[in-house]
Amino acid sequence: MTLNRRTFLATGAAATAVMGTPMILKAQPKEYVLGASLPLTGPFATAGQLVAPAFALAQKMFNDEGGIAGTPIRFVTEDSGYVPQNTLANYQRALATEGTALVGYFADSTGAMKLMAPELKGENARLMGSTSFASELADTATHPYQYVSGPTYQDQFDILMQNIKAAGGTKVAIIYSNTEFGRDPLEHGRATADRLGLEIVLEESTKAQGADIPTHVTKLAQSGAEHCILQGYVTGVWPQLIGGARQFGLPIQFHGTFWGMEKLIADRITAEAGPFLAGYQGVMPYRYFYDREGAPRYKQYAALSKAMFAGTPLENYMSTWALQAMCGLELAMKALRDTAEAGNELTADNVAESLSGIKDWDSGGFFGGPVSMNNNKIGTGRVYEYSPESKLFTPVSEWLST
Amino acid sequence: MINGNLKADYGADERVLNNRNKQLFVYGSMLLLALFPLFADDYAVLMACKMGILLIAVVGINVLTGYTGLVSLGHGAFVAIGAYSTVIFSNLFSGLPAGILPIIVVPLAILVSALVGIIVGLPSLRVKGLYLAVATLAASFIVKFLIEQDLFAPWTGGIVGIDTPVPNLLGWELDTKREMYVLITALAVGTMLAAQNLFRTRVGRAFIAIRDRDYSAEILGISLLRYKLMSFAISAGYCGLSGALGAYFFARILPEQFGLDLSLELVAALIVGGMGRTLGPLFGVVVVLLVPEMIKITMSGATGGSLEWARYTAPLQEIVFGLLLVFFLLKEPLGINQITDRILRSANRWPFARG
Repeated sequence: MTLNRRTFLATGAAATAVMGTPMILKAQPKEYVLGASLPLTGPFATAGQLVAPAFALAQKMFNDEGGIAGTPIRFVTEDSGYVPQNTLANYQRALATEGTALVGYFADSTGAMKLMAPELKGENARLMGSTSFASELADTATHPYQYVSGPTYQDQFDILMQNIKAAGGTKVAIIYSNTEFGRDPLEHGRATADRLGLEIVLEESTKAQGADIPTHVTKLAQSGAEHCILQGYVTGVWPQLIGGARQFGLPIQFHGTFWGMEKLIADRITAEAGPFLAGYQGVMPYRYFYDREGAPRYKQYAALSKAMFAGTPLENYMSTWALQAMCGLELAMKALRDTAEAGNELTADNVAESLSGIKDWDSGGFFGGPVSMNNNKIGTGRVYEYSPESKLFTPVSEWLST
Repeated sequence: MINGNLKADYGADERVLNNRNKQLFVYGSMLLLALFPLFADDYAVLMACKMGILLIAVVGINVLTGYTGLVSLGHGAFVAIGAYSTVIFSNLFSGLPAGILPIIVVPLAILVSALVGIIVGLPSLRVKGLYLAVATLAASFIVKFLIEQDLFAPWTGGIVGIDTPVPNLLGWELDTKREMYVLITALAVGTMLAAQNLFRTRVGRAFIAIRDRDYSAEILGISLLRYKLMSFAISAGYCGLSGALGAYFFARILPEQFGLDLSLELVAALIVGGMGRTLGPLFGVVVVLLVPEMIKITMSGATGGSLEWARYTAPLQEIVFGLLLVFFLLKEPLGINQITDRILRSANRWPFARG
């Protein structure tokens, strides 16, 4: 073949196409990475260890569905020991090692979210979910890249108080742990009580662990409360407070928020100390895992759990804590997929825009019906009641929204 | 007699870096620190900055524990005071030009920490050893408790923490980690040199005399009241500087960052590195901050970042780190500084007798 002007140009064009193509393809990584910090050690290791398998399940499930627009995803999960600065270091390491392939992150505490919020700028910004329901995070103006996978604690208080009002309650006590988690919805709760005509007869602060139960129970007895909301506890204090009140003969109706609503904890308390949690109510943003009727996504989780965790307690039950992580991941994936399908780059700004634009999303069973992101949260939930006989939390209210 | 150093005049005798190997080690390290941000990624810079910040606080506790022999389990409180003072004063003087604010705010933060250090140090006049450790422990709890109170929340942000300002040094806004690295490294090296020189002065020798036998020191005319409190003040001042840099470095400070864990971490770093030695805090900080990260990275690499393995390797990392600490302490109770001393000494005497 002789090289004339035409063949030269044709060869040149072909060579450019061949050499140029990999460069275009290079812009899209061969896999996307979602990072996560979990408290696999430290004070909340129990929760972290229960949540960790959910990430393995999520990775398999999302990849079986085609990842993000055909590109597979991979999770990078690391221990934080429940220290916010460790979570920040893990995030920075994930950014440094994964670069633009890192498209989202899951943090493990309110503290970590707050510490990292100001760091999410420019190239360092990524979409960020977490275990937190802190009200401060649900604000697109101040925390554009962070979101809450359900109702905030303030919303949960609203739902509880609406339910108390509907049940004819008038006098409410609030007992909370002296932590940020415990105090989060207090001020808002006072305003809501005022609006609904409920009287707050006691606001009692306790230690997060090892609280002086008899003193708090005595104050509760003196307050004359009909209902008591417990806020800011995970595995301890709340069961002891209820047990102490029952021993005291108080007929008060107790209520909890998300982190005090785990069946595994209630079952263990019942097995160890008797059926004193009978009638304990609380707000849950999601269905429980055993309530799978009309929840196709839960059925998928159940099938995968059976296959992946056979022979372990996780085979048949997914904790509320793991469900919360799953809901966060589902939201992140929806935002990422929506962004990719719209032909946009998966930058933090684009993904955050997709997330805040989620409307009438059919979650496949997490919530009562289609839900929308409003100010980067989903303000809906339902009140459940625990029964020591059936060892189940069953709904006692309709889905309530704020 | 084995002698690696020929000292022919008083100048040579007083020199800190008194042989070629020490000079090579220190100047080489400083060169490496200067070049580090040119090739390191953001994560490495973050870790280096964290180490620099902690190093200054450990140098501070070295002044008190290593040189003066007074144990404290409350130094996390001084770091907290430094950090919160920086934010509070920055907000208070927000009307001043941004470029001079850190120059006013940081010395003030150091001063407040030093003053609180004097108050916390008062029990050291009556008790020592474990009793003093318990007495200082209170500082850690009281300061954190006060920070968290709603009463002070307008200034401290209370339990939810507070956003920190971006430092501006005479118009140079240090809004990236790499820029902060320059400031932190310069101050960390500076504080180590200052601590080294402190113990070549009358004050430093008084501290060492108190450490070696306090009543003997008093008989020699050293005022225990004055020097013990001075040691507390200097030590707390160092921690205050560390806190101030921490406040500038992290975009937000939260009370939970300054709990008992921090106080214990400072003491642990000092013990592992080598008490009463200039480079002891440096080695201690490397072990306390870098080794857990290296274990984490190694294990993550070995398991291919597997989710299943992460559940088991995470607690294992803690165990490996604990065993490493025990190993170091058994192998060299005087700290890692002693090991490097031996290496430098044998390098200096090579090819003659080592030891």
